[in-house]
Amino acid sequence: MIRVAAVGDVHLGGDARGHLRPALTELPSIADVLLLAGDLTRHGTVEEAGCVAAEFRDLGVPVVAVLGNHDYHSDQQDEITEVLTGAGLTVLEGDSTVVRVGAERLGVAGVKGFGLGFAGRSCSDFGEPESKAFAGHGKQVAARLAEALDGLDGAAERTVALTHYSPVADTLAGEPPEIFPFLGNYLLAEVIDAHDVHLAVHGHAHAGTEKGLTAGGTRVRNVAQPVLRRAYAVYDL
Amino acid sequence: MTEEPGHGTAPAAEDPSYLQGRIERRIAEDPETAELGVRVSVRGGAVYLSGDVASEERRMHVVEAATAEAGGLDVHDDLAATPADAPTTAEDLR
Repeated sequence: MIRVAAVGDVHLGGDARGHLRPALTELPSIADVLLLAGDLTRHGTVEEAGCVAAEFRDLGVPVVAVLGNHDYHSDQQDEITEVLTGAGLTVLEGDSTVVRVGAERLGVAGVKGFGLGFAGRSCSDFGEPESKAFAGHGKQVAARLAEALDGLDGAAERTVALTHYSPVADTLAGEPPEIFPFLGNYLLAEVIDAHDVHLAVHGHAHAGTEKGLTAGGTRVRNVAQPVLRRAYAVYDL
Repeated sequence: MTEEPGHGTAPAAEDPSYLQGRIERRIAEDPETAELGVRVSVRGGAVYLSGDVASEERRMHVVEAATAEAGGLDVHDDLAATPADAPTTAEDLR
């Protein structure tokens, strides 16, 4: 068994520094790895990344993260990645990592993801440059997730797909349906269902719902902290 | 003859949805708040804010931003700072 802790959308900054630390000190006794599902900062600055690094460093378990849209807001995503990597976190964007837990291995494939919407009500890569940029990025992130999962083929007994945006509409329940194209992307779920994935973890939808499924029956969990209303969730895989 | 709403000689009163939109945009785009997960409702001549933010200080900033846009309407704070306690149970997905 591998115990996977996960949370997203912690939106740390100077005023929320140390907010999660008391609950995180208990982590090694209840989980083997911590996954961070993006939106770690509020404005996406290097200064806020320093708060994130201080919060999640030296926890006694490996920490694997993807970034979210807030972490891109100041165009400092590369510097943020450097700060987090320097603190010992693994930051994924279209790639994967394998965490050893005793005799078992957990593969994590990570990508920020993007919007696009869901089959029957999604955006197409067509028309004005702005429309094509939006839908094109939605297609690109799904291709990156596919590459990351391909790279894990046979490398681990259990596999998690880690994104910021949602692969399914189930876990958006509670959000206005009109904004679903900005919250999730069904191409991510199509990729997940084409691979041997045991759990998909995402954040982004603060008013959504924790539990959902892909069309192919893979468990999906929205771990946005306002959804969990606790420091993190733990899933036994 | 009865006048149709919005077609009189005096400008029609603004629909509350435009105020809702302005407050939502301010809360999302003002660097002081930068909150995309706050719900704004304008009902019965008052503004209602709900949803979770990361700290009590951010809750205060959201209320201040909404009040600045609300044109004198009462602003009701139904926001909460997200709890950050450790979980007491794990979900078995084996």
